[in-house]
Amino acid sequence: MNKELEHRFVTELESNQNIVHKVCSLYTNDRDAHNDLFQEITIQLWKAYPKFRGDAKFSTWMYRVALNTAITLYRKSKKRVQTQDYDSVIFKIKSDEYDDTEEKQLKLMYNAIKQLGDIDKALVFLYLEDKDYAEISETLGITEVNARVKMNRVKNKLRTILNP
Amino acid sequence: MVDELEFLKKDWQKKDEHLPKLSFDEIYQMIWKKSSSIVKWIFYISIIEFILPHLLYLIPSMRNNLSIYSDLELTNVILGVSILQYLVIFYFIYLFYKRYREISVLDNAKQLTSNILKTRKTVKYYVLFSLSMVLLTFAMLIVGIYFSDNIAETFEMGEKLSETPPEKLKWIFMASFAIVGVLFTVILGGIYFLLYGLLTRKLRRNYHELQKLEV
Repeated sequence: MNKELEHRFVTELESNQNIVHKVCSLYTNDRDAHNDLFQEITIQLWKAYPKFRGDAKFSTWMYRVALNTAITLYRKSKKRVQTQDYDSVIFKIKSDEYDDTEEKQLKLMYNAIKQLGDIDKALVFLYLEDKDYAEISETLGITEVNARVKMNRVKNKLRTILNP
Repeated sequence: MVDELEFLKKDWQKKDEHLPKLSFDEIYQMIWKKSSSIVKWIFYISIIEFILPHLLYLIPSMRNNLSIYSDLELTNVILGVSILQYLVIFYFIYLFYKRYREISVLDNAKQLTSNILKTRKTVKYYVLFSLSMVLLTFAMLIVGIYFSDNIAETFEMGEKLSETPPEKLKWIFMASFAIVGVLFTVILGGIYFLLYGLLTRKLRRNYHELQKLEV
């Protein structure tokens, strides 16, 4: 019975791993920490998997466990220095796709998001993943109104960074 | 004015090609690794905190100290206090275990954080209780000394201190026990709350952040 469960879980996670990588890239600053957090999220997903009923989409269920792990459960083992090469892996902006101004703006915005607190990051992440406010409020345990208010504050913060 | 985040969203959703790709086997290896989550940490540290005060009694000199109680005629009081103390300790352990079991990664972020903090708080109250018990023990010893007739003999210092007047000796013992008791409690408490603060700093910050929204 377990073999089958393991196989199904790993297959689903393998095809949905982008979600976890994106969470890791927001909450960590170098490759080791990224892998560390990825592993912790995988462990938490696996531990909770027997409770996954399949009435929701696997990916939807993953958002909650991944964010909970990043926000609450994960303990950074060491203070790490942000390394340049890692930063470019996830937030790489190809110069041929954008003109200079856009590229600069995106880089500024990604940097600004990395500076946000854990909760603000989660808000931005769910927003970027095209989640609606109902899902955002449910994942974080706050009301929809508060999710909107908070999101507007984050937008304003980013706006000031971009247009000083 | 274009919404900056909409612009960012388009870019974000194109990111997939740049992300790392782990193979089936790599992920399979991971599910057997040990979790190093904050809940694990809190669990083990709490267990240590529950056991540690009781290990003190295994140190030989501590056991010898217990005979001081009988010399000071405190045996019955100590017995009563001990029974009460263990009842309270078992209640704390039960409460801790119950709250620990309630922690689920499937709750929303606020509920999860709140449950972890509650579990940790149980241990905090236990430590406060233990520290009060330490103080109480010292207080009882001081009272015992006050009513004792032969203080020098109790502490096996008969010869050395025979010249000192007994009344003065009593006060010296009482004062030193008071000082040691308070120092001991303050140092233990200080270490504990430093640990407690470090362990839950991130949790408290995020919980506060989630609560702030509810105004």
